[in-house]
Amino acid sequence: MTTNRITVVLSQTRSKNPGKRRLEEDIATALLLEPGIEFAVTPNVYDLSPGDTGLLYLNSVRGHLVLLSWQYPRAAHWLLDRNGISGKQGVTMLKSLGAEDDEEGGDENEERGIGPVETLDRYIFCLDLRAYDDASVYVDEIKRIAKEASVKLVPLTGLLTVSNQGDSKPDLFQRFSDLEKKGAGPIALGESKALRWYPVIDYSRCTNCLECIDFCLFGVYGIDHKDRILVENQDNCKRGCPACSRVCPENAIIFPEHKTPAIAGAPGEGPGGLKIDLSKLFGAPSAIELAAMERDVELVKDGRAAVGLSVGIPLRQAGKAATEKDDLDKLMDELDSLDI
Amino acid sequence: MSDHYIFLMGKYEAQIPKDRLYAPSHMWFRAEGAAYRVGFTAFAVRLLQDVYFLDWTVEPGAVVTAKQEIGEVESSKAVSTLHAPSDGTLLRFNRELMKDPTAINVDNYGAGWLFDFDPKDALLLTAEDYIRRLEGTWDETQRQIKGQMND
Repeated sequence: MTTNRITVVLSQTRSKNPGKRRLEEDIATALLLEPGIEFAVTPNVYDLSPGDTGLLYLNSVRGHLVLLSWQYPRAAHWLLDRNGISGKQGVTMLKSLGAEDDEEGGDENEERGIGPVETLDRYIFCLDLRAYDDASVYVDEIKRIAKEASVKLVPLTGLLTVSNQGDSKPDLFQRFSDLEKKGAGPIALGESKALRWYPVIDYSRCTNCLECIDFCLFGVYGIDHKDRILVENQDNCKRGCPACSRVCPENAIIFPEHKTPAIAGAPGEGPGGLKIDLSKLFGAPSAIELAAMERDVELVKDGRAAVGLSVGIPLRQAGKAATEKDDLDKLMDELDSLDI
Repeated sequence: MSDHYIFLMGKYEAQIPKDRLYAPSHMWFRAEGAAYRVGFTAFAVRLLQDVYFLDWTVEPGAVVTAKQEIGEVESSKAVSTLHAPSDGTLLRFNRELMKDPTAINVDNYGAGWLFDFDPKDALLLTAEDYIRRLEGTWDETQRQIKGQMND
């Protein structure tokens, strides 16, 4: 194995959608023939548990890593981080779903957040498989990353470690290598899993305000020995309930499989962003009300009493009063000229 | 005496007919048999502008609770979820709108009705109260929209 190999892992869709399956197969076929690229397929990484082959494999990779998944890159990156697979966020040329032309908010957020505990000195590139239908777009981008890795990124210690550890790899890794040599198709890491549901924290945004731990009444959150928030008991989390994500003031809590982009880790802050959202005018509950309603449903299911807005509701909403005083009535006329 | 009130949105005059009741979520209610026919007020339509797409996420006959999400609307200016105006039963949807929602823009108080609804304990406003409410919340509403424009 040479030092400039990169590892590409494809996290499969949960869905039976033939279009999605085909895209996965096309990418796999192309990458298996590609020199300098180690390629593996795993069930949706979100559904994996510690000890599952897919996670063991991902953890064994010390060099640059490309993860192809059906999730927002931000969700995928912090999902890996949660599982101890850390690295700097690699910059991809591909667009993600929901990305604006220029995302400027990101940097500010990174400064606000407490950051990950420790980061391996290598790059992780998360590519969103929902963004393009054409396998060659992904294959070309991966080739570009591989090329760049072999030229510029080689001095990073992460890559050297791979070769150093080459002999002491776990057996399972060896097994996959054998499979590959026999031409047995892509390395498949385990069968598809039961669908899971739990939050993933984006530590580049999280300020450790601990509002989530106050709000969640199911004991999902905890703090580590450094008093940092963490998802301690992920399986206490209630399927379908994204309430803590709504109360998070930094939008740092991601449910990668939730239907609402802002909750599933879309870039930027609010949902959509492209158009004005009038949902509140048409009776939508506020994020806090909605979170409390969702939490109540789960409490009642567990045979506990609903608590509504009486427990763990942050007070920060107060005082968010009008910040600007200007000629508001011109707004309607401005709206007409607004190009959306 | 006029049969409607006018609420001024910039230069636009939103008409609020006096012959029906209103929900604070900008829907009108007109008695239809034992239940009510429900639609968007001129205020709502003015904010939405051209409606492109309307979808309901609950079935006709569904028993809903206040604020429950019942559908989605997309227009030239906005995309929004729609919510039950109160507890009650959604009897039927205006099927014409599913094919072509333009009646919402052309005739929001008539052919552009949204659904028939049998409310339970709904707190409905008179046209006068609705106008007063619009006046009380107009600055805040504009600020909300403006905030989104500046994001």
